[in-house]
Amino acid sequence: MMQQTPPIPEIIQAIPLQSYLILSTALFVIGIIGVLTRRNAIVIFMSIELMLNAANLLLIAFSSYKSDASGQVFVFFIMAVAAAEVAVGLAIIVMIYRNTRTIDVGFLNKLKW
Amino acid sequence: MNTTYLPSDFLPIVVQFGLAAGFIVLTMIVTHRIGPSRKSKMKDDPFECGIEVKGDARTPISVKYFLVAILFVLFDVEVIFMYPWAVNFQNLGMLGFIEMLVFMALLLSGFYYIIRKGVLEWEQ
Amino acid sequence: MYPIVLLSVLGIVVLFLGFMKSKSVLLPATLLFLVLALASNFIDWNQGKVLYFYEMLAVNNLTLAFNAIVLVSAFMIVAMTRGFQDQEEAQPAEYYGIMLFSLVGAFMIIGYEHLIMLFVGIEILSVSMYILTGSDKSNLRSNEAALKYFLMGAFATGIMLFGIALLYGATGSFNLTDIQSYVSIQGRGVSYILYAGLLLLLIGMLFKVSAAPFHFWTPDVYDGAPTIFTTFMSTIVKTAGFAAIFRLLSHSFTPIYSFWWITLAAITVLTLLVGNIIAVYQNSFKRMLAYSSISHAGYLLIAVTSLSPQTENAILFYSLAYSIATISAFGVLMLVSKKKALEGQVDESYAAFNGLAAQNPLLAFVLAVSMLSLAGIPLTAGFWGKFFVFGSAVERGLVWMLVVAVLMSAVGIYYYFRAIIAAYLKEGDIGKIRIAPFYRIILVVATAMTILFGLAPGIFEKLL
Repeated sequence: MMQQTPPIPEIIQAIPLQSYLILSTALFVIGIIGVLTRRNAIVIFMSIELMLNAANLLLIAFSSYKSDASGQVFVFFIMAVAAAEVAVGLAIIVMIYRNTRTIDVGFLNKLKW
Repeated sequence: MNTTYLPSDFLPIVVQFGLAAGFIVLTMIVTHRIGPSRKSKMKDDPFECGIEVKGDARTPISVKYFLVAILFVLFDVEVIFMYPWAVNFQNLGMLGFIEMLVFMALLLSGFYYIIRKGVLEWEQ
Repeated sequence: MYPIVLLSVLGIVVLFLGFMKSKSVLLPATLLFLVLALASNFIDWNQGKVLYFYEMLAVNNLTLAFNAIVLVSAFMIVAMTRGFQDQEEAQPAEYYGIMLFSLVGAFMIIGYEHLIMLFVGIEILSVSMYILTGSDKSNLRSNEAALKYFLMGAFATGIMLFGIALLYGATGSFNLTDIQSYVSIQGRGVSYILYAGLLLLLIGMLFKVSAAPFHFWTPDVYDGAPTIFTTFMSTIVKTAGFAAIFRLLSHSFTPIYSFWWITLAAITVLTLLVGNIIAVYQNSFKRMLAYSSISHAGYLLIAVTSLSPQTENAILFYSLAYSIATISAFGVLMLVSKKKALEGQVDESYAAFNGLAAQNPLLAFVLAVSMLSLAGIPLTAGFWGKFFVFGSAVERGLVWMLVVAVLMSAVGIYYYFRAIIAAYLKEGDIGKIRIAPFYRIILVVATAMTILFGLAPGIFEKLL
């Protein structure tokens, strides 16, 4: 059923895999720092998307180096699911904005123990 | 075709980046230096076809627009599943075709749901 | 596989049923659909291991049993919604539809054989929960809970995905069986990338089942969400999540047990301590149940950490006992707080139960049995759940962990008994609470099951 994927041209491998690993780890860490330090819900959300894209980049890089298509298939799913997540997330943020006129997460303090 | 690259082979790219950044910085400096700068209330106002400015530029946009935009994103992204399907159409055969029909049917039932909910009725 | 296909389609059907004039058909239809799914679930019973969807989903008796627990819990919860008649801006069709869809996600992570299934399943489950958490749109607490849950959940998803990417890089496959063969061939010499990937994936999944130190969203979210959906979250998401974690570790990573068990043991102990000790300081019953759900995650983690042949039965029985007890506890809370709300005060604290036994002996009894079961007192299902979990830990020789767990159970007795004391011994003035007949049946059945499994846990093993 699955077609044999042709070997990846050497030109892709001119850049070593470590570079991709470092780049995507850097993106991932930037995303985490963004989530932890920012106060604006939209910016936090953007940081999360950055984390997802770091994972996507890594999957694609591994997929190319292994000449294995399943990594790219996974990326398709991540993109589709992330879109659904964006829709729900933005809807929640809009709902909060309507009620409070702000999207600063510091405003969220109704629930405390 | 040459497939081995030395770091020095990427020098043109660095030069390109340098030129691009340099051009921006240069033009910014030059325009600030040589252009006359006058500031007045009238001049700093945003331009609205010559009439007086009313309200803030950051007015909230109708939520209807938000809904349409979000739905567009959802349906737009689902198309990515069709690219690999289209490329492998021959190999997947009849089963693949039916599977895509099922997928589209589910997607369209979602679309029908949206229409029935009245999300796309602009005037209400 | 059958319930997945069935509920995906029937969920859409429920959405479209919502366009009908009369909303009263929704509840019976949803319940019927759940029964159909339960029946279809057992088509594959005793077939051994069957693979579906291009070997991306595995079905065996264990996954079917987990599916059944999830379905039974969902049936009880849906039955307790009573059609959302008393809420004005409720959207019953959407709520039921989303609940059915989220069950599809739960089935996917219970039986996944491929990490794509795990990811998609977790996302279906979580995204549904974000919506349900925020379903009380005009309530700021619900809004806040939804945003917190969403941001933290998406964050966890990001971490999990990076872990999956690293695992893929190390093993070259998303398939659990392939990963397993890679790990067992390489033994302890696996690439360090695999270790990093496994840790990140575990962190992401532990986030979803609210194990400490990744639990901080739990109390706020459980507290802010409408109670009926809190029930849904604390039972179904937890059961499915633990099935998924157990599946990952037992299926693929047994050869490197010596690597991950220390991490997991530390998390287990921390979860037990945090969940139980902070629960003591709560005044809100609902919030106490949130911390209680963290502590029960800790007990379930003991079973996962010990990973002995008994473990799967222990997790199964524990999830069942925990789900039933939680559902009946929340069921009583909903009735009582609704009664209080009608009198003009929203009250979800322990004090809301004051004097419950005087005029509502049934409710007080249901509450007492569920509290006893959660505390793990003998003659309830919860006791045997803890017994099996501790048994699997003994088999692995994790005695020190057992000491912590037993101590924390003793702490647990304190805060669970506060509710019982409030209901039976404190003076209070709650009028007679009217219970809908169907609601009453659910409460009685849940209590009966708790006692039945408490008296004869053997019944359950015969069923399996």
